[in-house]
Amino acid sequence: MLSASEIRKVMEERTQHQKGTGKKVVDVREEMERLEEKGELLIHRIRPENRPVPMQTLFGWTKRIPTDRLWHHKSCGQCGNIPGYPSALLWIMNETGRTYLNEPHQTSCTAWNYHGTATSNPVALAAVAARNFHRAYETDHFPLIHCGTSFGDYKEMRKLLVENADVRHKVRAILRKMGRDLVLPEEIVHYSEWVQAMAPEIVARKKFDLGPVVATVHEPCHYYKMIPEDAIYDDRVYGGQRPAVPTGILLALGARVADYSTWYDCCGFGFRHILSEREFSRSFANLRKIRPMVEEAHADVAITSDTGCVTTLDKSQWIGKAHGQAYMLPVLADVQLAALAMGAHPYKIVQVHWHAAPVDRLLEKMGIDGAAAKAEFLEYLQALKSGRAPELLHTPHEEIEQYFAINKGQVLPEEGTGASPPTTEPPAGVGRALP
Amino acid sequence: MSVVAHLPHRTLSLADEEASSPPAMELTGRRRMSAAERSLAETIYQEFRADPRHEEFVLGCLNCGECTTGCPAARFYDFSPREMLQIAANGDATTLWDALQEKIWSCCQCYTCNMRCRFGNDIAGIISVMRELSVRHGVESTRRTLAPFGRSLTLLMTVGTQVSSDMIQPDFFRDWGPFATGSDKAWDVSPEIMRKAIPIDVLQTTRSAWEVSVQTSLELFRIYEETGVLDMLRGLDPDLTEMLVDIIEERREEFREARETHRARLETMRGPVATFQG
Repeated sequence: MLSASEIRKVMEERTQHQKGTGKKVVDVREEMERLEEKGELLIHRIRPENRPVPMQTLFGWTKRIPTDRLWHHKSCGQCGNIPGYPSALLWIMNETGRTYLNEPHQTSCTAWNYHGTATSNPVALAAVAARNFHRAYETDHFPLIHCGTSFGDYKEMRKLLVENADVRHKVRAILRKMGRDLVLPEEIVHYSEWVQAMAPEIVARKKFDLGPVVATVHEPCHYYKMIPEDAIYDDRVYGGQRPAVPTGILLALGARVADYSTWYDCCGFGFRHILSEREFSRSFANLRKIRPMVEEAHADVAITSDTGCVTTLDKSQWIGKAHGQAYMLPVLADVQLAALAMGAHPYKIVQVHWHAAPVDRLLEKMGIDGAAAKAEFLEYLQALKSGRAPELLHTPHEEIEQYFAINKGQVLPEEGTGASPPTTEPPAGVGRALP
Repeated sequence: MSVVAHLPHRTLSLADEEASSPPAMELTGRRRMSAAERSLAETIYQEFRADPRHEEFVLGCLNCGECTTGCPAARFYDFSPREMLQIAANGDATTLWDALQEKIWSCCQCYTCNMRCRFGNDIAGIISVMRELSVRHGVESTRRTLAPFGRSLTLLMTVGTQVSSDMIQPDFFRDWGPFATGSDKAWDVSPEIMRKAIPIDVLQTTRSAWEVSVQTSLELFRIYEETGVLDMLRGLDPDLTEMLVDIIEERREEFREARETHRARLETMRGPVATFQG
């Protein structure tokens, strides 16, 4: 597979070939500035209160990763069947004192509709992206994209909106009909980049040792194969020849990261395949990913940083028993492992019970008392059954928010009239520690 | 030499091919097309070549096969991104039509081929264009391929999330094992309680990935209406489309009623919440 040096070369060659004029790979952010000056769009800028941390992308360009005051762009697959993924992320934000908004006023990127069933089109995808971007902008919280496909799609859509005036004008006209405007974020930021930027603070709060743990990494395709120039690289991770995430946080936490021959392969998700052609997904996941991870690298855990990858690699393993391949290698997102290392509750926060491959042996290796945590969780479930109110990571939303994307008043306040009603409670969706 | 002479070639027009119907073509799996299919194939081909993305995505090919070497689908299906690119670059209405029947749906959209291609072809992208055309024209094989996705489409079109926890039914996902739905049967806890045990209020639902506000779903549907997605879906599944329109009409009514209920509070605000009428 291609190293970062080779990818750079391919990208430079393809750009020259596309234009036939020796044109260089361009930084889309520079064109965004020009379009903003012409009044064609607004840039949602990263500000000091976002506490940005500089990182490097494929071509050595600086990408500032905001670490505070973030707007959670949730992932449908994560929330639907790996809910420990977002809850581990929000929990770490609470622990590290980062503020955020988590709202019901967000759609997914809807790119599943495009890449899975083709029942969308680029203008619709761009309008959905811009609608979510604008919502983040008006709340004055910087968008943090949870899903790898959403991250890839939004990078593509930002580029499309910048490079294609026709699409830009169509999207802007649609947004204006709903009282919105075209806003593009200064950076499209994946949550795994936030995790990497927060590594020092996460390591400082480490409670369990990852030293005995051998981890293999699955690099999500849509993180670095879509718009490759916008993925982050670090010379200290694989010599800068593979993306820095999610490997960087594992190294920082002291895990032993082991390599395997098919690291570059896709997981087998395939969008529609994971639902209607699972014989493909599970065969690919088991034969091309899980087997090499176990037999070549002797992994204790597979770590990745995207929705479909966790789902496919994890859920596809159980049926392997039918072929004598009972690997049952635990599969977690980077942020779930980081939360465990920081002492998050394996069940209440990391929600490991949603994973098909059991994590008991991994917890044991980390020195976490999984049995006690499970007993406590089962007790908690019974309490919920009896009507006890659930424990929450952030303040609950008001009833009015079932209907309206109420303006938090940060960017577009009703001047002089008080856009947000006075309140002593923190706004809904803002993080707080569990009791 | 005699074998080569009988292999299918692409120099004849569709009508000539149909009229001559060379036995070698049928032996090599070439399907016979009805007049209606031939006409549709020509229309799709013309639209395909006229799509501005064709020029942008298809740049050239040396048949090096780098794309196919890294392709996950190529390992398990009769599918090759190299072949798809060749069809896009040099194919005709018939070869494109053949590809639409099944092969385009094998692609995983992982973009590995794009990354390996020295020419910079957007192979995953051009396959998406083929898929879009197939959906827009309601190609019969596409209807069959997408038939299992009614629930996902309904969710995506109405609330903008494609998965809900109640979609992962143990009977349908038996190969995922006993823990696929987030609980052990021995725990004796309903799916609703399992969702309640997630410490994020908007995730405590089984009906969608998270609770989406009515305004947000109406804005999304407005986008689908304005960008032709609804019309595109109508070509594929008119019944499903009408059902979606009904669902959204109910949500519009719900939104209008909520505006009355919350009028006093809303009047203190401006921005989309105050201007959006559903």
